[in-house]
Amino acid sequence: MTPVKPDGVTWLGLTLWLVVGAVVLVPLAAVVFLGLSDNHVQVLLDGGVLEAGRNSLVSAGVSAVLAVAVGTILAILLDHTDLPGRFVLRLFLLSPLLVPPFVGAIAWLGIFGPSSALNLAWASAFGGPLWNLYGGDGVIFLLTVHSYPIAYLIVGAALRRIPSDLEQAARIGGASTWRAMRDVTLPLLRPALLSAFTLTAVSNLADFGIPSIVGLPERFVTLSTLVYRYIQSGTVDKPLEVVGTIGILLLIIAIVALVINARLARRGNELDDAAAPRTPFALGQARWGVGITAWVLGLAVTLLPLLALASQSLLPAPGVPFTWENLTLSSIKRALTAPSTLIGAVNSVGLAVAAGLICTILGLAVATVATRTNARGNRALGALAMLPQAIPGLVIAVGWLILAPQIGLFNTRGLILCAYVMSFLALVVQAVDAPLRSTPTAFEEAARVSGASRLRSLFDISWRMSFPAAVTGGVLVMLTAVRELTISVLLLAPGNHTLGVSIFNLQQAGAYNAASALALVVTIVGLAGLGLLGRRSRG
Amino acid sequence: MRQRTLVGLAIVTAAGFALVGCSPAADTTTSAPEASSMAAEAATITLYTSEPQEKIDQIIAAFNEEQPNITVEVFRAGTGDLTARIEAERTGAEIQADILLAADSATFEQYKADELLLNYTPTDIESVNPDVIDSDGFYVGTRIIPTVIAYNTTAVDAPPTSWQDLTDSEYSGKITMPNPDVSGAAAYNAAVWYTDDALGESWLTDLAANTPVIAESNGPVAQAVAAGTQPIGVVVDYLVRDLRDAGSPIDLIYPSDGVPYVSQPVGIFANTDEAEASGLFVDFLISEAGQTIAVEQSYLPIRNDVGTPEGAPAMDDINIVTPDLDTIAQNKATAVALFSSLFG
Repeated sequence: MTPVKPDGVTWLGLTLWLVVGAVVLVPLAAVVFLGLSDNHVQVLLDGGVLEAGRNSLVSAGVSAVLAVAVGTILAILLDHTDLPGRFVLRLFLLSPLLVPPFVGAIAWLGIFGPSSALNLAWASAFGGPLWNLYGGDGVIFLLTVHSYPIAYLIVGAALRRIPSDLEQAARIGGASTWRAMRDVTLPLLRPALLSAFTLTAVSNLADFGIPSIVGLPERFVTLSTLVYRYIQSGTVDKPLEVVGTIGILLLIIAIVALVINARLARRGNELDDAAAPRTPFALGQARWGVGITAWVLGLAVTLLPLLALASQSLLPAPGVPFTWENLTLSSIKRALTAPSTLIGAVNSVGLAVAAGLICTILGLAVATVATRTNARGNRALGALAMLPQAIPGLVIAVGWLILAPQIGLFNTRGLILCAYVMSFLALVVQAVDAPLRSTPTAFEEAARVSGASRLRSLFDISWRMSFPAAVTGGVLVMLTAVRELTISVLLLAPGNHTLGVSIFNLQQAGAYNAASALALVVTIVGLAGLGLLGRRSRG
Repeated sequence: MRQRTLVGLAIVTAAGFALVGCSPAADTTTSAPEASSMAAEAATITLYTSEPQEKIDQIIAAFNEEQPNITVEVFRAGTGDLTARIEAERTGAEIQADILLAADSATFEQYKADELLLNYTPTDIESVNPDVIDSDGFYVGTRIIPTVIAYNTTAVDAPPTSWQDLTDSEYSGKITMPNPDVSGAAAYNAAVWYTDDALGESWLTDLAANTPVIAESNGPVAQAVAAGTQPIGVVVDYLVRDLRDAGSPIDLIYPSDGVPYVSQPVGIFANTDEAEASGLFVDFLISEAGQTIAVEQSYLPIRNDVGTPEGAPAMDDINIVTPDLDTIAQNKATAVALFSSLFG
């Protein structure tokens, strides 16, 4: 903690503050100023903001716990056992990342809606529906489904760094596989579990598509659906100020979450870097039992909605019976030949790649500086990068729209790119944060002793060590950005599109089946890309 | 103090952009067309609309056959997103659109009160249904979009034919309708029902007893009815006709006890640089040619000389309700709140 002369690290920290200040702090400040420009607390209290806040906390918190639990189990099963067919299963299990949540919600309603074939059949046999997706439990379920892949990727990246010699030592000492897992592996994973929990909880707080489609029918209002209520129904004056006030509330919740997270993370374990590649746990006799269970559950969660999408893609309109004569490629053709689809694909892929690259580098730098230097300001930098996760896309977009004319980015792709970087930076920061926290600073110290500057040791040691985790985060950013809807829909220039918007526009035009078809194509192409990526990184 | 902080932040922003290289990828200057003093035809206008993309593309293509030199740039989004964008543009600088074609008259009344709209009397306004014309001349409706009862033809043999019928316990658990908290048209409908002498609060209470599923907006309602998820829906008419034409087992009934409608008005923003070109576009929307397209696109028209969409009744056979706008405006918040409490 001795005061240091300004050196490379100081300058790096300052530079990062400038960049993050520009893409995160300034638009957040715009929203906060908006919310503070008048007192709308009474309007919000009348509008049921307390209940919405409670619903938000419960749905985001519970779904994050479940997502981390599922993600951890998957990380262990898929990456560290000899589960049969784990490579293919892994792709299936990542698919919810690629399905826009509003499309996923509609697909699931086809399965568990109150009058779905399944529920009707169940009701006629047992007198009541099996499960009605509408309501708080449905929101939690779908939020879990759409966020466990993120938890899985983060926990998985950390797990790969845990040396297997510790587990082997436990095994040699007589512990069973599961005992070694519970007593050795899981405690070492704690920072990653915390990172994954914070990230999923905070981003589920901001989700709009799922609570609006599945929650609102049962009056399960969350803060993010409340935002839309004030903007859409036109029942309040100055809706943006009211929305800004909700934004402030969400920011406060996020800050509290981050403070708690920081407290808990302080008591962490440090690890040496993994020396030898991990040897997979042998499941032994349980191999086929566990395998079949994992496949059945995995396919139920991922394949059912994909099949629902596929069956809709092959029919001309909703409600047309699924028979041979009715099958048609017209919906797929309509989706693929709509002029907006090509524009959308080009824009989305370009923006997603750019956002992925920028977030990877920026997020890596922010996370290393935040965890590897002692300056208090730098830790705040990491927290700042997290905050936009809690803010619904609409509010982020409004912030950028207000700034756009001043910075000359109005109606440009640059504006969307900046908003993407703002919203998705946290994915990389959190992905990198966990492995860094569990790595001792001894390596950096060794580098310093050998004469490297602070900056050099940060760059050569910390940065290189966490690069794989940053790439995982960057891939997450690309996958999320490629189907992004709420930000792009507000920031697009006239005549322009992104894939999320193209799907949404088809839906709005009543072309539900074409919308399903486009969503399916995006998912399949994305999964194919992931598959190739996975193979290459293995090979 | 606050001002100074903002300036400071702005400087930080500028520096930041230089660093990240977040500079515009493609700077398409659409917002500042050259103001031409002579009636030279070449102009670019920006239209904000909630009209589906394919439909607005058709309209613009037809408009460009008449006016080849006027380029119409379209920003399409849902009504709520449009409102948000317009509000944000007002907060940041000024509204960047020339024309707004969306939503219901309540939205336009608000903009009119805020003096954001240009006073404009379109050519041939005499042929337009007077109910959809703003008497102050700031906006005019472009379609009649009624809310009707839709039903799944496979699942329902005897569909309800009036709003009163919907409260029959026979339809308990089978109904779906859009959320007035989210959909502007649904909020308008709630106010119409609430202020209707024959329906009012007691009808809303009875309807709530049938536990309708409150979907987010009209789109999901139509989809749920077509798929049979809930076989009866309260929804705008053209979505149902489109689905029926696409092959879905769905049909619609114009309730005998009065059909509320919104009119998707069009208005020109007061700060436009292209008042003349914008006026020509508004003229086209309400012209015989423009309304013929509307009918082909399955909307009920605002003129009497273009017929009605295939399979729709003649305008005279529909019991259209045109309530007093002030009454609706005064009662909307109460009606939406009542709806929320009843259907909670």
